[in-house]
Amino acid sequence: MGIAIVVTSGKGGVGKTTTAANIGTGLAILGNRVVVVDTDIGLRNLDVVMGLENRIVYDIVDIVEGACRLRQGLIRDKRYEGLFLLPAAQTKDKTALNPEQMFKLINQLKEEFDYVVVDSPAGIEQGFQNSIAGADEAYIVTTPEISAVRDADRVIGLLESKGLDNPKLIVNRIRQDMVERGDMMNVDDIVDILAVDLIGVIPDDEAVVISTNKGEPVITEEEPLSAKAFKNICNRIVGEDVELLDLQYDEGKFSKLIKLLFSR
Amino acid sequence: MVKEGLISFRGIKEGIYIHVRDGDFGRIKIELIEKLKKSIDFFRGANILGIRGGNLSTDQKQELFQIIEEEYELSVSRQGLPSYSQSGKYNGEPTRNMTKFIHNTIRSGQVIEHNGSIVIIGDVNPGALIRAMGNIVILGSLKGVAHAGIGGNEKAIIAAHDLQPTQLRIGNIIGRRPDGEIITSKLPEVAKVDNGEVLIEPYIQKNNR
Repeated sequence: MGIAIVVTSGKGGVGKTTTAANIGTGLAILGNRVVVVDTDIGLRNLDVVMGLENRIVYDIVDIVEGACRLRQGLIRDKRYEGLFLLPAAQTKDKTALNPEQMFKLINQLKEEFDYVVVDSPAGIEQGFQNSIAGADEAYIVTTPEISAVRDADRVIGLLESKGLDNPKLIVNRIRQDMVERGDMMNVDDIVDILAVDLIGVIPDDEAVVISTNKGEPVITEEEPLSAKAFKNICNRIVGEDVELLDLQYDEGKFSKLIKLLFSR
Repeated sequence: MVKEGLISFRGIKEGIYIHVRDGDFGRIKIELIEKLKKSIDFFRGANILGIRGGNLSTDQKQELFQIIEEEYELSVSRQGLPSYSQSGKYNGEPTRNMTKFIHNTIRSGQVIEHNGSIVIIGDVNPGALIRAMGNIVILGSLKGVAHAGIGGNEKAIIAAHDLQPTQLRIGNIIGRRPDGEIITSKLPEVAKVDNGEVLIEPYIQKNNR
């Protein structure tokens, strides 16, 4: 029996889909059988980010409504064996599913896969309720902005009221140079406010944008710091003890210069 | 959404019939009475052929007939609506001659469905879906999904000025966009089924122009 992980945030645009795609891919690279599930009905993106849009014939609503079998709706990833995508429907809306149906579906998937990674839509309405149905663990994605942190706090409260205790936090798009200048919240501030366990910090990285546009999760690459950060998260998920990345590792010339000036 | 009435009177060569949209029978009845009250003079002497649509049971239809005949003293011929299959004009089955024209950009999440052919004067963006029992012609670029020949017609075609679909389906055959970069001919192209596969080729020969 596998584990269902929901990736959620409340606020839109903080990187839920990117995180879900990378965690899903990363867990598959580690040799697990993984399915990533897109529950953002009407605004699906996970298929595009994973480069699998052209393979979609059936979607999650077809499966739940019995228009096709579960097997038919699962799309095999083009790179990694053991990685599958269950796409959302694009031509319907959130009311096409209800939490009971999702609960059943996620449990069915848990029987076949080691990890079921559910990508949640923005918001806290029915789409969110659908996405957390059947989840064993919740990962909250936030960026170092006061609005995103506020929404994350709200979502953590909602998750706890639904019995999803101890959600884990992923802080995305950290810019170390700004943090050091005091222009950006640092990770400790965020963890202080939200009072949940941190499972990863992802630096703001051009490579993520480039790979997303190519339909290939950044974790498939070796070099980018963001890829390393995602790999670390995956290792922590499977139970390894990995230290947080030193984000100064890959800093640009400009910030090095600044540091030089300050260290004198 | 614009709220339309459940009841409309429609004229055909043979006379008038009542078209009923799906809805609550009580409301259908009220609307019918209102309509009749308003324009009783117009309907007097008309040949009312019957009722179509609305998923009404025989009993319910009977009740409506009764209102028309007894309260408004109109005659219902009850010979029923003429069946068009005899006239050869329609035969219930979709005809490939009927074409839906759409002058718009079709965007992600939108679905255009028709039981004949579809012509889109505009672009079809990724995430949009065009479904036709007949052919699909797009006078713009096709980047979404097009399904022609629904129901198994593998003779259907999909043509576009700029054919770069996410996926093409003709009858029961599915062709998908190859991964990675694709070479486009920059010419209008047509997709058809050949040997059980979706084949794409330009429909205008360069040197013929």
